Amino acid sequence: MDSTATRTVTFVYNYKDHENKDCVAQLDIKFPFDQENLEECLTLLLNQMDPMMRDLDENINLENHLQDFVDTEHQKFLDDYAEKLIGQAANEELDLEAIVRDTERLYKDELLQFADRVGPRDEDIFAQSFHRLVHSSSLEEILKRERAYAKVIAGMTEHMDSEVETLNTSQQQEMDSQINQLDITTTSEDINNLLAQQYTTQNFVRKRYESELEAKMGHQKNEYRDWITSQVSQMFQVSPVATPLGNRSSMFVSQQPSMEESFTIHLGSQLKHMHNIRILSANVTELCSPLHAEESLNGLNMALGLYSSSLCGVVVLTPSIQAEANKNIIKNANRSTEFHFEQIDVQLEKIEKQIRSLSTTDSNSTPSTASSNSSAEGSATPSPTKKHVPRLKTGDFFITKHSNLSQSHVIFHLISDEPINSPSEINSRHPVILGLRNILKTASRHDITTLTIPALLRHEMSEDMTVQWCIRRAELVFKCAKGFMIESASWGGAELSTLQLLLPDDISESLFTTLAGMVPSVFHVANPKILVDTSSKS
Amino acid sequence: MAIKPETRLCAVTFFAKLHPGDVCGSNGLPLTPNSIAILGRAQRLKELQDEHLCQYLDVIRGKHERTIVVSEYVGCSLEEHVKRHPPLSLAQILRIFYQVACGINVLSQHHLVAHNLEPKNILIAPDGRLKLFNYGLYFMTKGGAYVPFPVGNIRYMAPERLLGLNGNVKSDVWALAMLVAELVLGLQLWPKLKISNVVRKVLAFARSNNVLEKIAREHQCFEVYQNMDAGLRQLLEKCLHASPGQRPLPRELLANKCFADILQAEQEQEKAKEDESKQQLESHLPPLPLLLRCPLSQIYHLWQLAGGDVQAELKKEGLIRSEAPILGLPQIVRLNGASVCPTRSQSHLMDDRVVPLKLQALLQRLSQLPACVYFPLLHSPRFTSQHQQFVLELQQLPLVIRERDIEYQFHRVRLFARLLQAYPYTAELLQREAAIDIPPLLRGAVWAALLEVVPNSGYGKIDKFTPTSTDRQIEVDIPRCHQYDELLSSPDGHRKLRRLLKAWVTAHPQYVYWQGLDSLTAPFLYLNFNNEELAFLSLFRFIPKYLHWFFLKDNSAIIKEYLSKFSQLTAFHEPLLAQHLSSISFIPELFAIPWFLTMFSHVFPLHKILHLWDKLMLGDSSYPLFIGIAILRQLRSTLLDSGFNECILLFSDLPDIVMETCVIESQKMYEATPKSITHRQHALRSQPPQSLDIGLTDVELKHLQLEQCPRISAKDVQHLLLHSPDDLALIDLRSVVDYGHVHVPHSINIPFATVQLGEQRLEALNVPHLEAQLRGRIVVCVSVIHQNAVEFSHFLVACGVQRTCILHKGFNVLHSIEPNILISN
Repeated sequence: MDSTATRTVTFVYNYKDHENKDCVAQLDIKFPFDQENLEECLTLLLNQMDPMMRDLDENINLENHLQDFVDTEHQKFLDDYAEKLIGQAANEELDLEAIVRDTERLYKDELLQFADRVGPRDEDIFAQSFHRLVHSSSLEEILKRERAYAKVIAGMTEHMDSEVETLNTSQQQEMDSQINQLDITTTSEDINNLLAQQYTTQNFVRKRYESELEAKMGHQKNEYRDWITSQVSQMFQVSPVATPLGNRSSMFVSQQPSMEESFTIHLGSQLKHMHNIRILSANVTELCSPLHAEESLNGLNMALGLYSSSLCGVVVLTPSIQAEANKNIIKNANRSTEFHFEQIDVQLEKIEKQIRSLSTTDSNSTPSTASSNSSAEGSATPSPTKKHVPRLKTGDFFITKHSNLSQSHVIFHLISDEPINSPSEINSRHPVILGLRNILKTASRHDITTLTIPALLRHEMSEDMTVQWCIRRAELVFKCAKGFMIESASWGGAELSTLQLLLPDDISESLFTTLAGMVPSVFHVANPKILVDTSSKS
Repeated sequence: MAIKPETRLCAVTFFAKLHPGDVCGSNGLPLTPNSIAILGRAQRLKELQDEHLCQYLDVIRGKHERTIVVSEYVGCSLEEHVKRHPPLSLAQILRIFYQVACGINVLSQHHLVAHNLEPKNILIAPDGRLKLFNYGLYFMTKGGAYVPFPVGNIRYMAPERLLGLNGNVKSDVWALAMLVAELVLGLQLWPKLKISNVVRKVLAFARSNNVLEKIAREHQCFEVYQNMDAGLRQLLEKCLHASPGQRPLPRELLANKCFADILQAEQEQEKAKEDESKQQLESHLPPLPLLLRCPLSQIYHLWQLAGGDVQAELKKEGLIRSEAPILGLPQIVRLNGASVCPTRSQSHLMDDRVVPLKLQALLQRLSQLPACVYFPLLHSPRFTSQHQQFVLELQQLPLVIRERDIEYQFHRVRLFARLLQAYPYTAELLQREAAIDIPPLLRGAVWAALLEVVPNSGYGKIDKFTPTSTDRQIEVDIPRCHQYDELLSSPDGHRKLRRLLKAWVTAHPQYVYWQGLDSLTAPFLYLNFNNEELAFLSLFRFIPKYLHWFFLKDNSAIIKEYLSKFSQLTAFHEPLLAQHLSSISFIPELFAIPWFLTMFSHVFPLHKILHLWDKLMLGDSSYPLFIGIAILRQLRSTLLDSGFNECILLFSDLPDIVMETCVIESQKMYEATPKSITHRQHALRSQPPQSLDIGLTDVELKHLQLEQCPRISAKDVQHLLLHSPDDLALIDLRSVVDYGHVHVPHSINIPFATVQLGEQRLEALNVPHLEAQLRGRIVVCVSVIHQNAVEFSHFLVACGVQRTCILHKGFNVLHSIEPNILISN
């Protein structure tokens, strides 16, 4: 409704006061009227009267009159307003086609009854099949297969690496010998030629392997998915045997990080929610190491959790130069075939494309509805960005999904230029911190219940990170994380069950102890429950 | 999905709109999720009870903004009915017309509009009665603002609604006329038309002079139109007038002469039915299960106890589909909250299917119970059956188990419902039953009854709007008060809490608003969300009972006295702990003020407060002190090992307290403590003190602060002597001579002049078996010189002797007791 379309009518109430004098109370009332305001109007009118009148129960009579008046006037207002609209519609002063269009879109987009039905997507079906299968007796077989596949890929990658390595050395030797002969038998042109030739050879070898790998991975993926689907249809014929295993992915951690300490905390002022906090020092790539590199229980955990509602996520910092993930992680992810999602390179490529389109729409200052949906409503007012800079900024993040890494299903690549610069002081309104909050929010909305965040917002120690700075920084991150976790209780999503605070692996033991010692005081660690036999006492 | 005719309950579900990006409200706090706002608004709908409306029973908030609405369901929808019995006779159509109009009329009396009237939302009970269903959707979603989808079927939508004007009850009249027109003309409106064309058709009505005729012509049934009953045709044409001003209001519609015959027929039917039911009683037809004669809210509550899970039922019907969350993750999220997501799957769309909740299991479970359990007879003990045995047995079990036991709760709910109906005449019975436990379903009303609330409609007169100086503080406190709770965090909850607080402040000009009053009000609002007056009156009675004078502008004297008494009672029940706390100067002022000022409602979550207050309501103004001690007792081992700093840290965020133990312990202490021990000058008193009681102004604050042990009145000593001498150990501090002259039988004589109190060991007194003589008893120090008794009592506390107290007014007061209790050697 047009918000300017209101009308004010004066309500006049004639009454006799306790001395039987005629009195008047009046009030301007705005229409359309909200019934919730009735009592307020009543109070305003009563306040114009002698306080005695309340005791004489005049308020009851007044309320009846006021209610009648409001009802009549409200109805009249609505009818008149409708009359005007209908008149306008009849005279074609309104854009009726726009109404038709909008109404149709609304009904088709939001009501199942009118929507163009699309069946479930392939990935949904596969997800369900896999989830069911992985919770059946076939689990072992699945893992066995995955391991075998991974071995092949790992073998190929190793082979490629070693061949490239040999090629490198031989080329190096060749080059060295040529350089030694420089100005004797060879010219600099020769060297340049050789360099070009070497480069082409190397490129050729690499490309060959890469395409081979790609083909192999594609082949594996198809075979694997076909096999899963066939298993599921078989399973329907025989009765399904469910394994009693839960899908808490963080139950076992196979790679023992160098140092770690765990706490149980209760957050919330009256109603307390329990969370686990684990502080550990490790290299972030260890948390994203290849899943099948060794015989471990993690394969099982990751498979069980993959399509469940208790996912594991890791926050990895990345500079804003481009949507570029940590090289080691890419390498780890490429050590085996990604059976469930796209290979990491493809995911990154797509994200880069999205960023470019995002940037162009940003500069055109139109909402990016083309590629996104309702959750992009916030972009209706895009923050002013420099034109033609196709990149994300500090605090933004992109997400990649994985089924072949050891401790993470989801990687949040949080853009932070901060580590490049020398250690600086930031406050709780810094974009990286706000980005962290968005990550927690996304985690809550998408059932990521185990999340690892870099506690110093750094992945490596450097000379200039003093103990004092580390303490200040850790305190900031701890406190903000605590605040966000308390806030998350009202987001209505999944509760974060475990928060892992990741410290660089090259941190000194004493600093680790200091920082770990801060956790209980910041997060208010739950007191241990000591069971005492009270029957003998009191 | 077929809904069986005996279905009584059903559920529908939808998603609330997500807040885009990251926005804050005008107060700088994060926005309330829409699902919570819906939940708060929908509470009001639960109050609507009318024969033409399906009752709303519950609104549940699922994960990720899912909202589930549970409501009554009867028979089958009009849509199905028409399919099953075509064609309907004119009389039947008129009946439908009339009854639906009744429903709309009731709604408009409550200032509500349905705006989603369609055959699917009209239910026909087997006896032919019509009920509107799902009529609250428009209201609870604030006119659709809280949900992404549009409310209302486009075919029945009045043109002005398409033009953007909502909220007019006459749009419902239009919808009703449209669906009646469908019935009369025996057709379905535009069955094959695309949505856009339906919208065009409806918009075209804006220019039409006779909508009904136009519809008839378009659907090739002009003949039927011409042959229609003239009265009905006129009425329909009027209702389908393009301009709402010309359409009749629901109450005008009901008065139309078309319905005269229907009305008469209905009255006759009513009479016939009465006769029939009489006949039914006499004949031996299978009667309606007794359970179905209970209120639906009780049935739903029991259904939940019987293991009913609405979410599971919805899942079974495929309405809650679990999709792998990893597939829905966004690819990019910008700092401002904008994100790039994969295309949304259709499971998030509005699916208006209705899922029945099956009552069979519940009916089966309760069918064996005799009628006297369904309808308990309060004053005829001879009708109590062998089931009484079952109830008594269950009462031995922990409260948590009792609250979940369906059969037990059924007993309790029926009993309390009956007791409440007869309140205030049953006040005493209620008190007795409440001492056992209180059924959660009726807690609000039971509490009010325990507080002796009698509604008097005075609440309406209290000014809740005129700005006052406390408004700012109230405004700040409300968004921080028990916000984990969905009801209290909803905008409606905030509004109600504000009204209650302002009303309380206005009603008590002698008091001021102290922070904490919000927490104190919260449990009452939570329990009586739809009955502000009851919440207000409960609070109104609660505060003088337990917090008399606490809300004075200068309440320091009251608080000081209260906390000193708390220290004394701690020493009385937990001497070692009290000793330790006072030695590290961890005084109650540092931690216990919020405990008592809010009666613990600031430190515990609501579900714990409810159990705590269940017992509190039964005790007098001293009961809260024992709760405080029970909390300390639970933390005893930690406290004894802690220094001042650790204690401060521990209490800054109170650790998890086991409420059941706390309640039991506090009750035990409450019962084991003579009343005079808890004497406070500022407590509200029902009777004036007698000569042997502690007088009103006898004990001043400075006494309280100097004396570590509380005083006991001669009256209580006398009572103990007469009724339970084994619970009493009287230490007579006078000289041996005086003792020989006259003393209390079985008292222990320890002449004060002869003892050395330097060494804090009982053995140092050289009285054989002293410890055994004192253990488990109330130890009363009696002297003629008050100071001696005080010093000696301090010594006993230091030795860890429990329940030490001092006889008020010393030995000489014992002379005045009639009949004489003293003996001489």
